[in-house]
Amino acid sequence: MPELNLDKILASLDLRISEVTLPDEYDQISKDYLGKDSLLAEERKKLPTLSNEDKKTYGKKLTELSKEIESKIESSQKQFILDTFQKKEREEFTDITIDWNRNEGSYKHILSSVMDEVVNIFSSIGYEVAYGPEAETSWHNFDALNTPDWHPARYESDTIYLNSDLETLLRTQTSTVQIRHMEQNDPPVYIVAPGRVFRSDQLDATHSPVFHQLEGLAIDKNLSFTDLKGTLEYFTKEFFGENIETKFIPHFFPFTEPSAEVLVKWNDGSWLEILGCGMVDPNVLENVGYSKEYKGFAWGVGIERLAMLRYKIDHIKNFYENDIRFLEQF
Amino acid sequence: MKLLRSWLQDWIDLTDIDDDDLSTALESLGFEIEDYKLINPDYKNIIVGKVIEIYPHPNADKVRVTKVDVGNKIYEIVCGAWNFEEGAIVPVALPNSYIKDSFKIDKRDIRGVESNGMICSASELNLWDEHDGILILDESFKIGSDFSKSYISSDSYWEVGVTPNRGDCMSYLGIARELSTYFNKNLNKIENPLNPKLKPVLKVNSGKSKLCSSYQSIEIENISIKDSSFLIKYRLSNIGVRIINNVVDYTNYVLHDIGQPLHAFDRDKLYGTISVRKAKEGEKLKTLDEQIRTLDNDDLIITDNNEPIALAGVMGGFDTEVTNETVNLLIESAYFDKVSIMKTSRKLNLISDASVRFERGIDRNIQAYGLKRFTNLYELDENIQYSEISDSSKQTESENYITFEISLIESILGQVIDNKFITSTLKSLSIESEIKKDTIKFKQPSWRYDLERPIDLIEEIAKHYGFNNFKSTLPIGNNLNKVGNYWNVRKYFIDKLSLEKFNETQSLSFTQKEYNEFFDPDKEGVKVLNPIDQTQEYLRTNLYYSLIKTYKFNYDQNGFSGKYFEINNIYNNSTNKKYKKIPKQDYTLGFLVPDNNSNINPMQYIASLLRKIIPGVSFDQLSKPGFHQNNSYLIMVDNKLIGHTGQLSYLLKEELNLSENLFLSQIYLEELNLEGLNTSNYKPLSHYPFIKFDLSFKVDRDLNANDLIQEVENLLQNNENSIKVFDDYAFEKTRNLGIRIITRSYEKTYNEKENTEILNMIVDKLTSKFNITLNEKGE
Repeated sequence: MPELNLDKILASLDLRISEVTLPDEYDQISKDYLGKDSLLAEERKKLPTLSNEDKKTYGKKLTELSKEIESKIESSQKQFILDTFQKKEREEFTDITIDWNRNEGSYKHILSSVMDEVVNIFSSIGYEVAYGPEAETSWHNFDALNTPDWHPARYESDTIYLNSDLETLLRTQTSTVQIRHMEQNDPPVYIVAPGRVFRSDQLDATHSPVFHQLEGLAIDKNLSFTDLKGTLEYFTKEFFGENIETKFIPHFFPFTEPSAEVLVKWNDGSWLEILGCGMVDPNVLENVGYSKEYKGFAWGVGIERLAMLRYKIDHIKNFYENDIRFLEQF
Repeated sequence: MKLLRSWLQDWIDLTDIDDDDLSTALESLGFEIEDYKLINPDYKNIIVGKVIEIYPHPNADKVRVTKVDVGNKIYEIVCGAWNFEEGAIVPVALPNSYIKDSFKIDKRDIRGVESNGMICSASELNLWDEHDGILILDESFKIGSDFSKSYISSDSYWEVGVTPNRGDCMSYLGIARELSTYFNKNLNKIENPLNPKLKPVLKVNSGKSKLCSSYQSIEIENISIKDSSFLIKYRLSNIGVRIINNVVDYTNYVLHDIGQPLHAFDRDKLYGTISVRKAKEGEKLKTLDEQIRTLDNDDLIITDNNEPIALAGVMGGFDTEVTNETVNLLIESAYFDKVSIMKTSRKLNLISDASVRFERGIDRNIQAYGLKRFTNLYELDENIQYSEISDSSKQTESENYITFEISLIESILGQVIDNKFITSTLKSLSIESEIKKDTIKFKQPSWRYDLERPIDLIEEIAKHYGFNNFKSTLPIGNNLNKVGNYWNVRKYFIDKLSLEKFNETQSLSFTQKEYNEFFDPDKEGVKVLNPIDQTQEYLRTNLYYSLIKTYKFNYDQNGFSGKYFEINNIYNNSTNKKYKKIPKQDYTLGFLVPDNNSNINPMQYIASLLRKIIPGVSFDQLSKPGFHQNNSYLIMVDNKLIGHTGQLSYLLKEELNLSENLFLSQIYLEELNLEGLNTSNYKPLSHYPFIKFDLSFKVDRDLNANDLIQEVENLLQNNENSIKVFDDYAFEKTRNLGIRIITRSYEKTYNEKENTEILNMIVDKLTSKFNITLNEKGE
């Protein structure tokens, strides 16, 4: 029975493997040790000449050797690939502190984001968004809202008018949408109306001729003052957080009665006014022809005010100058 | 309304109520607290002294030397004021005392005479503005006592907002009435008895006009014009009223105390009957401020012998005013119509404490009380005599009871309010009321113009019950989490464009005519009647100019700019189809893309972006004012015009001094709905392998690549396709267009032969139909 120096073969294989520098070399090694011209193949050719007994024993031995060589090459090859990639990875480095896209914001205007947030809070309790024109009739902006023609709010020093008989104007409040909506829809009504309002003020740190309000209106058969309280307390908690303290103090608006202002307690202990509200005045409901069995409440909240409070923005001008340094922050 | 605790104390006992409780009460009664502060003396160690001797300074003419008795000792003090005589009681700053602003007073040599401190004026003690000389005190100030303990020198001050419906709370009496209900205390009654010794010399007549329902007066003789009492000066000065003299100050005092404006005439300058009427058109009156006012038929005036002597409720006349020489007075106390006073005071821009009270409505029954209160402010002696009150009041209809069902209270407020609470509250507010079975009736007090309807009384009850004492309930509306199309469309575009890194902007709606006309020369802009300034005379007819302005602002101010969009209304004077009487206004999206020389052509970028976010969009080339002749397109969906996009004309680019080409678009959002925007039809996936061709054609400059793509789509309409332009290169007169076609059958795997057949079919069709030539093909 032929004798093969297994150790010598394996030792030479180890040497070959250790000298590998390129992954392709493994194909050649396989060929050299397992291919048809390999030592192993030479020995296999001898098998038919052997006795049955020896054939079996020697054949088995050769098979085992072949498997061992195969597995050695395979595992070495895997290791070589792994080592190569790991070395490559160790040499690679990314400076993740570089911010190529320096805009930190959402690209949305802060007033849009705040309006959307407020809309979402009210839509979660069943309010739909309504809208109405910004250039309005004086009737919708004042008369229908129980503000008679001698009322100081109607003076040209406060209101921007569009014609000389003072019949059309730029709305001074989103409450106009209450009227527009009720004229076109039957009760029950649950709406919010975010939008622009206008006053005769020059743009500066604390004034703007344009600003945003969100009007809310709920008209149904059984709505009362406690519902108004509950609804606006829900809003302040959703917007400012569960722990916010809210209080209602009496106020006056021509189109609601009773009327209130809502204040929230700020971190520093001071109370800040955030919105005006009240039970819709019976005259308003009469003006739009709603039957007496319906009543409800309305409120108006200043969007700039909410944004200024929450983000500590100190200049109203920031909202309308569109300085990209400001826009990018939100 | 400015409040002093010590003054309120006249009307309601506040001794056991601290400032915090008072603030809480004021706020919960609806008086917003605008300011609160403590008042403390701005001086130290000031003693009350008596001047016992005055003699000339040996070396100076402008000062005198005095001997002042401060109780235990007499000091020699040099004094520069000349408004006092021997015997005057004065505040004295002895050495080691402090006057205002912590200024220390010590012994001082004044031209060879040692002065032991100084005698103080009111302004040196920071009491009030009075520079005429030293402060002369009355007999109630005890010699040798600590000045700060001789009157209420420590006080609390509030400035509160009074809502326009509550004219009755524009006085101490009115505020105290509310507080007395809140604290459940009595409102003090201040009696002002009169004991007239004279018959009035002049007649008064409230006239025919309904605008004056009551005109009353009292005549006072032999007064001398001098300083008011210390108390009046202290109170008025601390609520910001300027100190004048004992006539003007006392009318001001009564106004703030009980809310009745008074006017003082010099009686000796009046002749005939004092009467009230509307002014004649063009009639003139010289008012107290020495201005000649031209009046019209809306103005209410006071006349004597039918000549104007005062603007009723707004300002007195110059010719009849009280001067230092006045000895006899006629004091007017009247009720004038709210709206009339408001119109005149606004028109002439004369807004005074009196006009503000008249326009909000004063108590209809307080005119006589006002005159009595005024008269009693004088320390009367044998010389000062006064007349009985002349009263020319018109009969006014007495207020009727208003009755309503008591259940309405619960229905509005959502909570049962105890009847006992209701009756005691109304009683305390002097509102006559009665509850019978299921109904309540009430009568409007003469000072409460806000109580006309059941809802007004319900508000009153709710306010005194305390808004914060009501429970809270949360009703749920109709449409949970459905914001509606208007808001959805807005959100859709904000989301899409912000992901594309467009900055959302908000700009003012105002502009100048010329900026509108850059883009909309044929549209009539909406002009503002009372513009804020010349640059804001029109409402914008488009968003383009605002976007350019923002782009340029940042480019110039910050050295970089970006892509912007804005969603807001644009306006013009054409017919509004939705609403009558108002100008057309379109809710519009505008966006701007600058050409910052990236590889992507901005016009192609915009078109592809719009194709992505508006399904079914198409473009029709059309030149438009302000835009590039060719690079300007209408945006269409289903043959409906929804907007416009294009490149800013080179001319405007130059005129506006822009360094980059700008691409501007506008889309009318009201033409779109979210259902349309969210439509995208599912294309089933083929399970068979794809075949792929890259074709490069030589084409004409004006060929639309999309026509080629559509043609291929048609040819392969039964397959799943992906057909794209991968190259578009133009050089001089040639243009090469590369199209990549990836297609798969839904039924089979294509073999080599079929592959070639398809390729040839496409090339043949495209070359023949579009008259183009194939450069090369790849697979």
